[in-house]
Amino acid sequence: MASKIFMGDMPELMEKILNNVNDDDFYSLYPCALVSRHWCKMSIPILWRNPFLSYKSPLFISQYLLSLDENEKSVLKEYEINVKFQNTLFNYARFLKILNLISLASRIYQWINHRYFYWNQSYELLRCHIMNFLLKLIVENGAIVHKLDLHFADDELQSEILHLFGRNERFFSQLKELSLAGISRLSIKSATALSENLARNTTNISVLNISEYYSGYGPQLLHAIICIIKSQVQLREFRLIGEENPKEFHGIISALESQKESLEEVTIAYCNNVRILETCLNTLEINSSLIYASSLVHILEKSGKLLQRINLESDGGKICEESLLLRTLKSFCPNITYLNISCIRFSTQFQDLICNLQKLQFLMLQNINDILAEELEEEEELKMRVMQFAKILPLTLQYLDLRYSGLSSYIDILLNNCYAPLKTLLIHHIDGKKTTKALIKFCIRKRTLNYVSIDSVIDNIEKEVEGYIKVVPSHRITVYC
Amino acid sequence: MDNGTSNSASENETITLKSCDGIEFHIDARIANRYTLLNNWNGGESACIPNVNGKVLEKVLEWCEHHINDPQLNCGDDDSRRRNTIIEEWDENFLSCDQDMLFEIILAANYLEIKPLLDLGCKTVANMMKSKSPEEIRSAFNIDNDYTPEEEEQFRKENEWAEDY
Repeated sequence: MASKIFMGDMPELMEKILNNVNDDDFYSLYPCALVSRHWCKMSIPILWRNPFLSYKSPLFISQYLLSLDENEKSVLKEYEINVKFQNTLFNYARFLKILNLISLASRIYQWINHRYFYWNQSYELLRCHIMNFLLKLIVENGAIVHKLDLHFADDELQSEILHLFGRNERFFSQLKELSLAGISRLSIKSATALSENLARNTTNISVLNISEYYSGYGPQLLHAIICIIKSQVQLREFRLIGEENPKEFHGIISALESQKESLEEVTIAYCNNVRILETCLNTLEINSSLIYASSLVHILEKSGKLLQRINLESDGGKICEESLLLRTLKSFCPNITYLNISCIRFSTQFQDLICNLQKLQFLMLQNINDILAEELEEEEELKMRVMQFAKILPLTLQYLDLRYSGLSSYIDILLNNCYAPLKTLLIHHIDGKKTTKALIKFCIRKRTLNYVSIDSVIDNIEKEVEGYIKVVPSHRITVYC
Repeated sequence: MDNGTSNSASENETITLKSCDGIEFHIDARIANRYTLLNNWNGGESACIPNVNGKVLEKVLEWCEHHINDPQLNCGDDDSRRRNTIIEEWDENFLSCDQDMLFEIILAANYLEIKPLLDLGCKTVANMMKSKSPEEIRSAFNIDNDYTPEEEEQFRKENEWAEDY
């Protein structure tokens, strides 16, 4: 007999299972929907939650078009698109939960190409028509979006659609994740109107991403974004990426003050902006050309024991006032479990910090400066430091990513001296037999290592370590902040 | 005396759990705390787990014991960025049981609100469906096809875009 999970008694569990199918492989859901009527009923809302994931075929657009009204159908007729009335098994538009404007635009483009086999300039207007018809259809059929990706490109949304969004408060009422990006000069008006609407009609956004923000967007859009931030009950994650240091960033970051009770994760490009952040965080991510420790001290001190995950990536090759950063982390943030740091020196002070992080589980090191610059001239001294580093790794450490650290030639020394119960190790390459031997010895000694990712794989490495570890591609085991 | 309900339970403390068929398990109090197994404890000598039988509870406790030192996710930390897509080998072996037991473990994890075990069970079942035809899924999970041929045809027509070809 079939499990009661699949017979309709436990729909929440069946939904969870089907969500897992969908998460890993969108196309595995279609056969599930064909199993039985109940399976169909459970699978279809998941399949149509975000049909834009279907990169192979844009034909779901045809299903949406079947539900357009007569006026809209007559517009399409001008382009020789005859949509006949037809009852569908489900009201598919209602199931939409994830709306990404750029995916919508590109699937419509794909659909027109599929139909006409070539692109004609006059189809640009058709694309705008279909885009606006579909948005109207989705809103009017009672869809309630959970995730909204507003990438405007050059598409000016019709004012009718903007009014429609404004009239249907339910459409945005359960919005949890909002991304705002790619606002072109032509779409500032639409973006402003929509943002004002979102500020009025949303209170449950927990994740807000603002990327590609430029100073030319004007005061109205800035004000609307600030209102969005302030009108949420519990903003948990916030990302702000854009032009370096426009003064508008200041206003946006100051608005986060209103979310200081709930805000947990902040990602900001250009760390000068962090200086004014007045909140305690459990996650801080800075992607900046240069990282200035003095800009971070305040937020690190304020977050203190609450800070669990920190990602400091600098593409400018340097952390300025490195000693101050290490000292602050060591003194104020003992509970870090995830540390990704780049452009640091392999100093005693750095090793002291690692030794002090007694809850550290995930460690990623990139571009260890003095090793890559070959400043440590004495090979023996460097080997000694690697040995010391291996010995002080906390006993909580399970995940070590050294792919871009510059330590690839010393992995054998590291493994031979490591007491941490590593489960996952990511390295750039295997430096000869000594590393393979050290890997096997570590596996026998610690019995914890399950997965190793090697970017530059030597042909027979998998055979040599077979039975001890699994060699897997890095994308399958990489853990992000 | 600390009855094991505090978060500071030490390694030596044990508590007794009783399954719905009366089988008792003496477990490390830290396991009970970590996985909130004491929701049904009314202060008596043992905590009863009314909806889970001894055979299933034994498996669930085996899993909890193995994962006692796993990092705890924050409340609502469902973010896929922080999840590996790999099921660890121990877990894979653990769930390589017969299908009835697998579903019982999922139901028990759901009842006992052991989210990581529930996620693992659901992911395992999902993996069993991947790359299978509808007929293979029906046969794997013993499901009857109750579609009429007309319904099936219409379904295919409306959803052909989602087919992997």
